[in-house]
Amino acid sequence: MSVAIGVRNLSRRYGAVQAADGVSFEIAAGEIFGLLGPNGAGKTTVVECILGLTEPDQGRIEICGIDARAQPRRARAKIGAVLQATGLQDKITPREALDAFAAFYPAPLQSDELLDRFGLREKQRAAYETLSGGQKQRLALALAFVGDPQVLVLDEPTARLDPQMRREVQDHIRVLKDARRAVLLTTHDMAEAEQLCDRIAVIAGGRIVAIGSPRALIAESGGTLEDAILRLTGRG
Amino acid sequence: MGALLHLTLLSLKLNFRNRMAILYGYLFPLIFLVAFWAIYRNDPVPLALHVGQLLTVTILGGACFGLPTTIVSERERGVWRRYRLLPARGWVFVVSILAARAVLLLTAGLLQLALAFAFGMPVPTHPFDLLLAFAATAAAFLAFGMVIAMLVDNVPAVQALGQCIFLPMLMIGGAAVRLESLPRWAQHASAFFPGRYAVEALQLSATGAGLSGAGFDLLALLLIAVAGGVAAAAMFRWDKALTPRRGWLLLALGMWAVVGVMAEARGRVALSAVQDTRDVGTAKDYVLPPKPAVAAPASWREVTDADMQKIAFDRLPPDEGIVSPVSRGDETPDPAILPQLDRIRDALPGWAPGTVSDPVQRARNLLAIAAVPDILQMEQVERFVPRLVFARLQAVIPPRDLPKILYWIALHPDAGSDAAIHRLGVFGLPDISGPTMPVRGRIMLYAFKLLGRLAGPLPNN
Repeated sequence: MSVAIGVRNLSRRYGAVQAADGVSFEIAAGEIFGLLGPNGAGKTTVVECILGLTEPDQGRIEICGIDARAQPRRARAKIGAVLQATGLQDKITPREALDAFAAFYPAPLQSDELLDRFGLREKQRAAYETLSGGQKQRLALALAFVGDPQVLVLDEPTARLDPQMRREVQDHIRVLKDARRAVLLTTHDMAEAEQLCDRIAVIAGGRIVAIGSPRALIAESGGTLEDAILRLTGRG
Repeated sequence: MGALLHLTLLSLKLNFRNRMAILYGYLFPLIFLVAFWAIYRNDPVPLALHVGQLLTVTILGGACFGLPTTIVSERERGVWRRYRLLPARGWVFVVSILAARAVLLLTAGLLQLALAFAFGMPVPTHPFDLLLAFAATAAAFLAFGMVIAMLVDNVPAVQALGQCIFLPMLMIGGAAVRLESLPRWAQHASAFFPGRYAVEALQLSATGAGLSGAGFDLLALLLIAVAGGVAAAAMFRWDKALTPRRGWLLLALGMWAVVGVMAEARGRVALSAVQDTRDVGTAKDYVLPPKPAVAAPASWREVTDADMQKIAFDRLPPDEGIVSPVSRGDETPDPAILPQLDRIRDALPGWAPGTVSDPVQRARNLLAIAAVPDILQMEQVERFVPRLVFARLQAVIPPRDLPKILYWIALHPDAGSDAAIHRLGVFGLPDISGPTMPVRGRIMLYAFKLLGRLAGPLPNN
């Protein structure tokens, strides 16, 4: 198995709160890996550490064999990400954003290709502020793909989308699997996690409390995936 | 490098799509310029004496409002957090936004100068120095703009903090109100604001002797820029959720204090650079070469018409210029300065230095009343005082002697006492500090000019 993301014993404390506590997991190329847990469980901290947005107190993070803490820029070149709390300037157009982001990668995908792939061709010259929520999310995905990344980190990529848009985004994620990309996905949508993820890590109190396939987790709980998560996080 | 250029151009493009940014970045400086032009519409040389202030206000607005507003608003909406995910060093994003802002400031400054030229402002005496002074000022204010951007969490806070910096700098920092019209305490306070050094460096480059006389101003601006840059770098944050390291603010503001103390220590504050101390040459520059056979007069009583005919009155600075201006006889002063002129006129008869027994010293003392406002560039006042002095000279010195005495003073600017320049308070004129040689130079020029009116070559209309 070719490891795309390797996290070993990752810990991060914010004051009195241990946001991540000895978190370890590996994600293989071509695998969609879900990171699930209640709000405040530590998902965002783990994601931010992987992306280099937060410096962990300890632990090792490897992206495609690159030590992400020692060589953060090299590691970031392998990652595409969609985060919730990000945006773009009001007046920027999708094409300008794609062109600007492409300038940071040695072999970026063509903006035209991404505009077509994510259905933004008609809006390529529209100001960001005029795009719908779904269009903005598609643009965020397109930007994550600019560098033709080996690893995708998607933090609730379908949140606040209508059902049709959600399905479109999910289709894009499935395509990634076929292209042998590794995907780290966080979501509160249990159906989405069950349909998309090969494996799921359940996090609570900053610790990974279970890792397994959706089917295995469901089988263990004897109910639904939601039941499994609630039970594992002590809320069921 | 490609990414940096791409991002810089994109920043510029986005700025030009933002109506408010255009309003603040370009329209506001032009409005300020028009306001200055209207206020000082009677200046002999339109706007020339205010170009330092105008450019400073432009840079201040763009750097302390425009820059942090852009950064904070982008950070608020997560743009910078998104940038952080790109495989590039952080400085690329910072430099790109600073470079874009520098271009905006430069173009706004050029636009302002272009309009000023249209209003009749002369071409700057030292254009390259002006560019350097502009760069140093921009560096100082952009660095502080970055500090503001790192310090605050939202755009309203930028506006609030920006105003806290902007308004004092305008009112008592020398950026909008001329220092000589401020009380002494405010002049001292201004030494602790970078605006003062910006105005001085820019003004000296535009109408003065260039940056050669503004070494301290440049040093002050660069120190403030470096301290602000270091503080901003230490406080840098991609995400508004992160807490800024506010302690570094002390470094940025501390440098303002250090520069102020340095200025005070070297007498910088009293030696106001708003004085126009440019070299006006020596008496020889205004006298035709002597014929070998003719000896110079040994005293003022021996001065002859032939001596006076050797004076090259056409070499004197024009009456409409900045140096030693003289109003036309038919010119009406602005009502705003009438009280000051009345005060001078009323105080002249009782002014002790103007009644000393030695007629040469008496005339020299009276000429100092015209020379000091000229040095201090006291707007319109400086142009009308020479006429008051001229009238007084004609009243207290016999008509037969006055041309000879003026000739003598003009040819001997270093002779006699200049202590009278410290006794001008009765006229409402400020004390002048520092070397008195520039004042003596202006006394010389006015002696020549008034002599020219008596002797005929210069019109006394």
